[in-house]
Amino acid sequence: MLKRFFFGWRSLLVGHSRSEVDEELRFHIEKQIEANVAAGMAREEAHRQAMIAFGGVEGAREACHQQRPLSLLETSWYDIRYGLRGFRRGPMFTVTAILTLMIGIGTTAAVFSVVDRVLFRPLPYAGPSRLVSVGLVAPISPQEFVLGAWYYDWRDHQTPFENLTSTAGAGPCDLTERNPARLNCAAVEWNFLPTLGIGPMLGRNFTADEDRPNAPSVVLISYDLWRSRYGRNPAIIGRMTSLDGQPARVIGVLPKDFEFPTLEQVDILGPQQLDEAAQRKASPGALMLAFARLKPGVTIEQARAALQPQFQQALRLAPPQFRKEIHLMVRSLRDRQVHDARLAAWVLLAAVIAVLLIACANVASLLLARAAARERELAVRSALGASRTRLIRQTLTESLMLALAGAIAGGLLAGLLLRSFVAIAPEGLPFLQRAHLDLRITFFTIAASVICGLFFGMLPALHRPNAEALAGRAPAGIQHHRLRQSLVIVQIAVSLILLTCAGLLLRSFWKLRHQPLGMRAGSVVTASISLGAEQYPKPEQQLAFMLQLQARLRRLPGVNVLAVSDSLPPGGWHHDHILAAMRVAGRPLPAEGTGGTVAWRWVTADYFRTLSIPIVEGRLFSNLDESSNAHFMIVSKLLAERLFPGQNPIGRQVQPGLEGPWYTVVGVAGNVKNGGLAGDDEPEYYRLRRNRPDDWSRDSAVILQTSLPPSAMAGWVRAEIAALDPTLPIKLQTMNQRVSELAGRPRFEAALLGLFALVGVLLAAIGIYGVIAFMVAQRTQEIGVRMALGATRADILQLMLASGARLIAIGAAVGLVASLLIARTMASLLFGVGPADPVAFAAVTVLLMGVAIVATWIPARSAAKVDPLIALRYQ
Amino acid sequence: MPQPSELLQGTLDLLILRTLALEPMHGWGISQRIQQGSKDVLQVGQGSLYPALHRLEAKGWIRSQWATSDNNRRARFYSLTRAGKKRLETELAHWQRISGAIALILERI
Repeated sequence: MLKRFFFGWRSLLVGHSRSEVDEELRFHIEKQIEANVAAGMAREEAHRQAMIAFGGVEGAREACHQQRPLSLLETSWYDIRYGLRGFRRGPMFTVTAILTLMIGIGTTAAVFSVVDRVLFRPLPYAGPSRLVSVGLVAPISPQEFVLGAWYYDWRDHQTPFENLTSTAGAGPCDLTERNPARLNCAAVEWNFLPTLGIGPMLGRNFTADEDRPNAPSVVLISYDLWRSRYGRNPAIIGRMTSLDGQPARVIGVLPKDFEFPTLEQVDILGPQQLDEAAQRKASPGALMLAFARLKPGVTIEQARAALQPQFQQALRLAPPQFRKEIHLMVRSLRDRQVHDARLAAWVLLAAVIAVLLIACANVASLLLARAAARERELAVRSALGASRTRLIRQTLTESLMLALAGAIAGGLLAGLLLRSFVAIAPEGLPFLQRAHLDLRITFFTIAASVICGLFFGMLPALHRPNAEALAGRAPAGIQHHRLRQSLVIVQIAVSLILLTCAGLLLRSFWKLRHQPLGMRAGSVVTASISLGAEQYPKPEQQLAFMLQLQARLRRLPGVNVLAVSDSLPPGGWHHDHILAAMRVAGRPLPAEGTGGTVAWRWVTADYFRTLSIPIVEGRLFSNLDESSNAHFMIVSKLLAERLFPGQNPIGRQVQPGLEGPWYTVVGVAGNVKNGGLAGDDEPEYYRLRRNRPDDWSRDSAVILQTSLPPSAMAGWVRAEIAALDPTLPIKLQTMNQRVSELAGRPRFEAALLGLFALVGVLLAAIGIYGVIAFMVAQRTQEIGVRMALGATRADILQLMLASGARLIAIGAAVGLVASLLIARTMASLLFGVGPADPVAFAAVTVLLMGVAIVATWIPARSAAKVDPLIALRYQ
Repeated sequence: MPQPSELLQGTLDLLILRTLALEPMHGWGISQRIQQGSKDVLQVGQGSLYPALHRLEAKGWIRSQWATSDNNRRARFYSLTRAGKKRLETELAHWQRISGAIALILERI
């Protein structure tokens, strides 16, 4: 039984081998010879007669083989060899198809890998879909937060969550044991890790008791710290270490894939140790972030509704002028993490799917053209007895081979592209650094290409070739040609959409880079310094250091003027508070509204000259002001208009922050970008940093204007700072570098989308070229007739161009309409350009039409060059 | 010696199955048996015998096995399968109906 089973399978797979049939036939012939000899023939004659009696050996052998249905393996092998021969005969077709697939698949896989990390990757927590970020949003903070004054009430009285936990966030801290190191520490509530559904990989989490004020300090360390600093020594658990000079006991190691929910780097996790009772009474209490786990079955909307009583209570605690601008926010952890990267990620994904679509249309078009050209061959095979399934299998095999080759090449390209994405990507695109090609993506790639190839590969095989095709006289592939024409229309339309989106992003990037900054960024070098808390604990020491440094830098050749501030335009961190918190002497505080936020910086007197910021009213700070007892400020034009509409601001007294000293306004400066390149400008004021310790802090930024190349200057500045304190961490940048860094994200988006658009246009051009070239080949005979009847070359050229132009025009029209609709969704990615920007639309339409017409013209010209005699005899 | 007659279309399968019903045999044996059994009237063209054998095997009516023949040589022996036996019965019945019908017509005229 088993043997029969085995035998059956063997014959199914391999059939009878050739040699077995040969041996059987040989046996027969030898028997015949023996019989002949026995009948009295001579040996030679016996052999001859036997052969005659048998008939053709070769014929019999072939006949034997044909009696059995071919085995699966054998037919596939035949199909593969047949396909390979076909590919070798048409290398242009093969190379174009594989290259097209490679580009389509490669870019798709690479971008999908990036986007996958942003949009779809599983978060490293248990049940991540139920994790949410909770809090209030106010004009001051774009991301939701909670305050100690009401957070604990929320935690005790909320209903929609299984757990609610808080963290003060991550910040710098110093590990002060032997070999001190600057690390990132995060303080969290004791139920933080349990809420995320994770625990330490080694040791234990801290308890509620250890999260009380004045409890002995305990910490969890990250896996990376454990590996790099403690050599994965498990004995670290229970060891004492020292954090910011305070003893702390290591009680656990975080898991290897641990990720702080805000994606900040965290080396050490410790308890917040907040005094709950004191926090409940405080106003506003500690600023924290809250995360929660929804109860099973509770949606985010339900949670938001259920939190309304708590929200109203928190609102009552807020100052009245704030209330209208405060909102409750409950959103999934993933949404919080990707924040504004979400739209960009979707745009990228859509762009790359469009490229894949164009590539697929191209391959389909190629396959259809090939099928039309092969109609006769298929008809012959069909007439010779090839069954329909057999023909379909043959076509499928060829499509699969192409798809597989394309997938392999595409995989290689994807790896390459991904590496270059990571290299050129700006910071702040979450997870990009860790993006990699994984198995799912490889699978996605192969599936995409196979579906691509299969669908269009099937079409020609599906209808049985008719007898007319056999004669080669049929108007071959009219239907195919229709299909190919619609494919070209789709290609043109999709590439136009891609191009307009890319064009809009490029225009907006250009505007971003060429907008007035309100200052001169050229020939300015900046150095940001953070004085260590250990070495420079007192403001006196900080002031002394900065004065010394300024004196040294002033002596450098090429330094025209220099200033010190505590933050730098046009983007990044700066102080801010609400406009309503600026008390103007002789005027009551506004009763309602916050007035939005106001930015401010500490600056030394020469700040405005260093950055070439114009003073439009009043005067600059003077050196006299620097040693004065009084406080001085300069306001931006925007702030002057808000605070003193229609009045003279000079000499007015202002108390910012509603407490502390009063400042005298001495001047009004031009507006300078301060909310990043794309952000809205905030009104701004500058407090004069006098030569008094109260005006100084650990953080400073030195700004120099130089007549030498800024990059050369940077080295000298570094050397001067190192001469004073070689251990000081500094960040040296020219102002131009800072500005260009701020434009990094839009540049990345514009560059990627631009790349895809170009690839798309290229593929579409190949597509239209292919269609027209094929049409020319098909109509060669017709062209010959026309020419014989007196058509000139120009007529022929015109005829061919017209058929191409029709496709281009339809495609462009469809594409323009679709672009208008689609571009609206990416309005928030644009800067200074409307989603229906006529310049971008006109430019890309002209570009695409130009490329498409050239792609039409090349084959059309070759049609016009056809020799009528040859054309008439064609086929 | 009279010319051997051409085989009637479709009868080769029946003859092979019938011959194999006696005992497993190799191709040469089958052709000899048919020739002798028909007193040299029927001669199986070898070029059609082997394809027929392979066809029957592919259909599952006979199976083959390599074995040693009389003078110690390897030969492929064919034997009837269960399905083959059934097939033989239906073919026989069919043949008898046809030949009976033909005989009837020939006698009447």
